[in-house]
Amino acid sequence: MQLIGDSLVIGLTEHAPLVLAAIGFALLYRLTGLMNVAYSETVTLGAYFGMWVNTTFDLNFYAVLLPAGILAGLVSVGTYFAVFRPAKKRNVGTLELVIISFGLSIFLRYALQFVFGYPVRFYDVPPPQTLRLLGTGVSTFRLLALASVAVISLLLYWFIQKSRLGLQIRALASDEGLAQASGIRPLFVTVLIWFIAGVAGGLAGAFYGVGSSVVPFLGWRQFLFILLVVLVGGSRGLAGVIVVGTATGIALAALTLQTKQAYYAQVILIAAFVVYLKWRSRRVAETGKV
Amino acid sequence: MNLDWLDSFLIYGFFTIVIVAGLGSLLHLQLGLARMANFGVVGFFGLGMYAFGILYVKVDWPFDDPWQFLICALAGTLVAGVAGFVIGWLIADLNEDGVLVGTLGFATAVFILATTEKELTGGAQGMGGLNFPYDVGGVKANEVMWLVVATVVVALIIFYVWRVHRSPYGRLLVAIGTNEPLARSLGKPTFRTKLWLFAISSAGMGLLGALYGVNERFMRPTNLGVDITLAAMVALVLGGSARVWGATVGVLLTVGFFDIVVQNYLPVPVEWYGQALPVMREALFGAALILVLMFRPSGILGEMRRDKLMRSLHRD
Repeated sequence: MQLIGDSLVIGLTEHAPLVLAAIGFALLYRLTGLMNVAYSETVTLGAYFGMWVNTTFDLNFYAVLLPAGILAGLVSVGTYFAVFRPAKKRNVGTLELVIISFGLSIFLRYALQFVFGYPVRFYDVPPPQTLRLLGTGVSTFRLLALASVAVISLLLYWFIQKSRLGLQIRALASDEGLAQASGIRPLFVTVLIWFIAGVAGGLAGAFYGVGSSVVPFLGWRQFLFILLVVLVGGSRGLAGVIVVGTATGIALAALTLQTKQAYYAQVILIAAFVVYLKWRSRRVAETGKV
Repeated sequence: MNLDWLDSFLIYGFFTIVIVAGLGSLLHLQLGLARMANFGVVGFFGLGMYAFGILYVKVDWPFDDPWQFLICALAGTLVAGVAGFVIGWLIADLNEDGVLVGTLGFATAVFILATTEKELTGGAQGMGGLNFPYDVGGVKANEVMWLVVATVVVALIIFYVWRVHRSPYGRLLVAIGTNEPLARSLGKPTFRTKLWLFAISSAGMGLLGALYGVNERFMRPTNLGVDITLAAMVALVLGGSARVWGATVGVLLTVGFFDIVVQNYLPVPVEWYGQALPVMREALFGAALILVLMFRPSGILGEMRRDKLMRSLHRD
């Protein structure tokens, strides 16, 4: 019983940013059909932007979320205009696009070190208090982070599923020609998606960064799980991504508690996800769609 | 022969070029012919290195080098090949997304296990005890000899790749890479062909990992970074992913330029050697990957050259 309680609390609080990052990635995947490896750097840059604003302007962590998200969103849009849009115009193939995104990911990961420096960086935040929840100690900061992630995820979900712009996004992703014929401006909606995805990734990065440290590999370390959550959960829409993302966090916590080693938990889950994808192999191309 | 000009830095640079050329040539079979983008090259490379190293250091063999080395290198190659078979079985009928997840996941798992299995691998601190399987007199002579051994192995790999290109098997791989459903509809065993291709080329990557481990003399998880995969991929793409010599030409222009020309002959400030140069190297490799695929996707050498049989068929 204690294991269940611990897994729930640790899984939900520690891995909450995974859900947020996966939602952003799923939006992009839905629109472009592209496994954008460079999305991992949007997460990393969100952490760096938040840290920079936090330490430079001496702002509270929650005050830095807005600029961190916006800056990451702008970088995301920038990558669209600088790389993916020209590549699409040149009719670059799907496989080549994945490799291009891999190259972009590497480029951003290393280039950012010339801007922010090489050493490991940290947010300047006061030490949090610890509360007991279901018998498990958890910092107030992590609880606030969980609440923030939940609110932002639900807002994104509402925006995509219920708002007029969200409807346009889904229409464009389903059938670009029909969407254009219906008066939807494809460039505006596409830029909006890249921006929202970047904001989601950047905010996730800020939450990851404040929970540990800010390093160039921050996003890359999370990327595989973001990818797996979207591939497995995307078949059920954004709700599926949220559910699978949450379940993944809880499973990671439970396996870590059982094996006493976070790394083993990751290996077990990676293997389980890949075997599941194999089992579902004939339908993979469709199931990633939100 | 006077080899005074050949110092340890240069030998290391040439050795890296040779190893990456080998990895790139094997990746050419997977990506250039069968269109399977292996983002986990370093996983198979690392598994071969660690399997070799663990057997070489931890097992009390009843015979000495070079047999000890040969048996352990063969075992490392086999382990990487078996892993390639299993991963190949998981991903051979998946699309690009599935291949990305499967190969990336495998490389991550190898890195994690190299870090966590401290008793076997030495964990994050790494494991020493590897050495050249001979002594021809002095450190430099041994290093040069190892460079020659690695060059011969990679030359054999490139010869194998060249033979594949000019064989019915190679034409089948091209057919699968171009239009897999069509190849399957013509009765070709596409899944089995891709599976064996992936297993054999992964075994080759494992063998190169074993050679690399000996050259390093010390294995640590930091050897298993994404930079190995990146170097092989950018070399192949720049040179021409559809050409036998693509990876070799590409590696000379990328790793050769940075690890030989820049590091040894350009007047680079000393303080750059610590972090600035390696970071710049990776950033530029990433940029090269983007630019080549955008503006010259077939690389420097261009499109695939048809072999004699295909050319004669085309003429008829």
